[in-house]
Amino acid sequence: MTPFDIGLIALIVMVLLVLAGLYIPVALMITSFGGVWAIKGNSALAVKLMALAANDAIANYFFGIVPLFVLMGFIVAETGMGQDAYSVANAAFRRIKGGLGVGTVAANAIFAAITGISIASAAVFTKIAVPEMIRHGYSPRFATGVVAGSSVLGMLIPPSLLLILFAILTEQSVGDMFVAGVIPGLLLATLFVVGILATAYLAPHRLGNISYAGGADEGFGTLLRQGLPIVALIVIVLGGIYTGFFTPVEAGAIGAIFALLFGALSGKLSWQKLIRILIDTGLVTASICLLIIAAQIYSRMLAFSGLPAGLAEFTSSADLGYWGLMLLYVGVLICMGMILDSSSILLIMVPIMMPVVTPMDINLIWFGIVTIVAVEIGLLTPPFGISVYVIKATLDDDSISLVDIFRGAFPFAVLMMVLVALLLFFPVLATGLL
Amino acid sequence: MGNQPNIEALNTGEIPGVGRIQRSILSVTRAMNIVGSLLIFALVVLIGIDVGGRNLFGIPLSGVPEMVGLSIIVIVFLQAPQALQLGRMTRSDTVLNLLRDRAPKAARLVETLFDLMGVFVFGVIIYGTWPMLQKAWTRNEFVGAVGDFTAPVWPVRVAVVVGSALLMLNFLLHIVNRWKGARHDTV
Amino acid sequence: ADYSVTAAAGHPPVFRWVRMFPDSFGPAVNKHLAGQGDTLTIDGQFGGAIAGVGEELETVGAGLAEIGTCQSLFDPAKLAVQNVTYYTPFITDDTNTVAKVINDMHRDDPRMTAAYEENDVVYLGAPIIIDDYLLMTNFPVNSVADLEGRKIAAPGAALNWLSGTGAVGVSGNLTTYYNELKTGVYDGVIVFASAALPGKLYEVAPNITRAGMGAQYAGAICANKDWYDGLPEHVQAALKAGADEAMEWYLADLNAAVETSFAKMQEAGATVSVMPQDARKAWADGMDNAAKSWAEGLDGQGLPATALLGDYMNALRDAGAMPLRNWDQE
Ligand code: NA
Ligand code: NA
Repeated sequence: MTPFDIGLIALIVMVLLVLAGLYIPVALMITSFGGVWAIKGNSALAVKLMALAANDAIANYFFGIVPLFVLMGFIVAETGMGQDAYSVANAAFRRIKGGLGVGTVAANAIFAAITGISIASAAVFTKIAVPEMIRHGYSPRFATGVVAGSSVLGMLIPPSLLLILFAILTEQSVGDMFVAGVIPGLLLATLFVVGILATAYLAPHRLGNISYAGGADEGFGTLLRQGLPIVALIVIVLGGIYTGFFTPVEAGAIGAIFALLFGALSGKLSWQKLIRILIDTGLVTASICLLIIAAQIYSRMLAFSGLPAGLAEFTSSADLGYWGLMLLYVGVLICMGMILDSSSILLIMVPIMMPVVTPMDINLIWFGIVTIVAVEIGLLTPPFGISVYVIKATLDDDSISLVDIFRGAFPFAVLMMVLVALLLFFPVLATGLL
Repeated sequence: MGNQPNIEALNTGEIPGVGRIQRSILSVTRAMNIVGSLLIFALVVLIGIDVGGRNLFGIPLSGVPEMVGLSIIVIVFLQAPQALQLGRMTRSDTVLNLLRDRAPKAARLVETLFDLMGVFVFGVIIYGTWPMLQKAWTRNEFVGAVGDFTAPVWPVRVAVVVGSALLMLNFLLHIVNRWKGARHDTV
Repeated sequence: ADYSVTAAAGHPPVFRWVRMFPDSFGPAVNKHLAGQGDTLTIDGQFGGAIAGVGEELETVGAGLAEIGTCQSLFDPAKLAVQNVTYYTPFITDDTNTVAKVINDMHRDDPRMTAAYEENDVVYLGAPIIIDDYLLMTNFPVNSVADLEGRKIAAPGAALNWLSGTGAVGVSGNLTTYYNELKTGVYDGVIVFASAALPGKLYEVAPNITRAGMGAQYAGAICANKDWYDGLPEHVQAALKAGADEAMEWYLADLNAAVETSFAKMQEAGATVSVMPQDARKAWADGMDNAAKSWAEGLDGQGLPATALLGDYMNALRDAGAMPLRNWDQE
């Protein structure tokens, strides 16, 4: 058996184990262990790979901030700031069917300007938006689907770690990448909104059993008082990032500090509550990061099998002409997105594709945006869809299954494919602002 | 949740046969969870001081990126056992739930096998991390740069070993309680 | 026979020290093996595919990869004395000299290679030399006094270079420089030309000041010790000869890139100024002697750091370098 075959078998076994209900980190690790052992013919090496990855793979600043963004989101949710914001949104969008769904997408688009990682968006809005939407009659499947779908905006609207990574891999300007991400990001948000509204009017049962007229007309003063804290928090965090007071990486901690202050000042945050929030933050961080460690181990095992590199080589050497190549490329990215995390896919595919696309005289910034949107679809697709996993870990509600969330997210994955198609036909969407 | 042990019951010793060992595993698990949570709070304070110091007084705090990078591993491994204990470790249990309804005994066997797989992988991680822990301790391994900031690596390795050991114990507890619970049901 | 190896690098192949494997090292080793009917096939696992930046030494030592980029800059606990260049700035901007001195010390002095052996790897060669570090700022710099109160980012070990300048030294890394400069988290960075151009840093920090902080050593190609020891002698020789050729290739490519970088950054509107000798001297004189405390600290751990610091400085002086401060003689 070649390493390639072993990689394929490890892939199938992993999918079967996940479906059968094995804890996902355990499924990823045990198939990686077997895979490396079989490829290298040496169990000691498999042990070392697991230990090295467990100790080092996420030991850096960028993963370190995951709990801080989660904490910020949890404080916002637990102190009622999030609920207040939704009351305001509900009052504003009350007459629009699917209004809260629209509000969630819009809020995520704003939050995307604060965070550089989608994990943060998914965790924060699971806590803030999902309970509120369910309270207003939306089905859990739709509520979690909206949050999963709009979490991808976090990586498309700047700042974004993936845009930075692509810029480094291809020696493009980070500034240009950020500018290029703005229109596709807003367009994706718009597509999501149109999708939600269309569903709300054409097939309202798919959103759940929404009570449109819910709540009395609140006075303008009440709405202002309810909306002010969250608006202030957004202004502080966004303002801090864009005036250079702190980095997007530090923003999670600063946001958490101010959310704490607001909570304490409004008397809605006791020590007991804070400790409960911290513990919950820790549990969510642990389940998400353990998944990421396991995914790293798995992706290292696959690297040894040569499976991803083989797929990348196949794409880059396929003699299909421009359209054939782009379609194959996007297809491969989507397939890889099912099993690998976003940055691994960029690191595998981009260096191999660069020599192929550079002579084609295409705009590399545009190519980067297409790549990142296609890769981000993987956040929503099974078996390894990190946004969906984050939502599941954050929810702590056994009545909503992973399958429900994946189903809820599926329409949003389809809309992302629509965005990819639009970008392929109209490159100006990415390059227009440059 | 049917097959997860009931924590309240375990703490008050209501499940017959639950001994001191189980209770101590659970309390150590909970203690680690609290330590990890405090560490998250410490990170918030640390970054706050760094940002404030840099901008207001021109005195940044050295080594914050390094401390954050090391802490995340500690946080994950100290909290993961409690996450497992509370049923918060990610899994897709749709098929398993069907099996539980239709063939409870088979479901118990499958779940036991899964728990054993958990014991195995975290055993492997301990086995592989142990020499790394020894090396980090005897050779004073650190992160950072001499002259600016350095932090020792061994506490991270200890956290990985302790966390993995607690994960193994909690997987084993699942197995014990599952079969005990089953015997109880049929009585 | 065919020797199939895995090469590990945490950086992606846009970096010269990674491109070195397919573009120079691999072909060079094969050229030297050709006469004996042997071949070397390299499976490049770059960009963190199997090891992140700073994890390469462990990965090669563990045998998960046969060869890799052992990064002393990012692994200072394990390759401690190798960081000697980062504690001795203001000596020379000549990449060739630093490369030759460091490579010779590794080849001739067992005290230099001991650290590799302790980590189960062998130093093959092809030192990863970083070209002369510069200041890139969003304000003009004429003297050290201009740095007062400014937030300047630098890689950890280079933060010492800002001591005495009055600048606020912030530990940073290449991946976020652009964004942080743009928003104003940093007013400037200490960086090298061959990375500043591809990173487009001149867009956000157009004042480039050549202060002569100097060329540095950051790592080298290393091999797993057990694997290497089990090779026939002629294969071992071919690997070392291949590394020697990779070093020549790397330096030629780097030096050419440095020249184009300055030209292109100027074309794009950046100002390049050379800090006058007396201003450089004032900067160096105002610094703490970090080399001394660094070396004494390592001496305390039983490493021959003070001795190697002296040897390194002597070798540079013998090669014609004119240090602004003789860090070893204070
Ligand atoms: Na963003
Ligand atoms: Na996926």
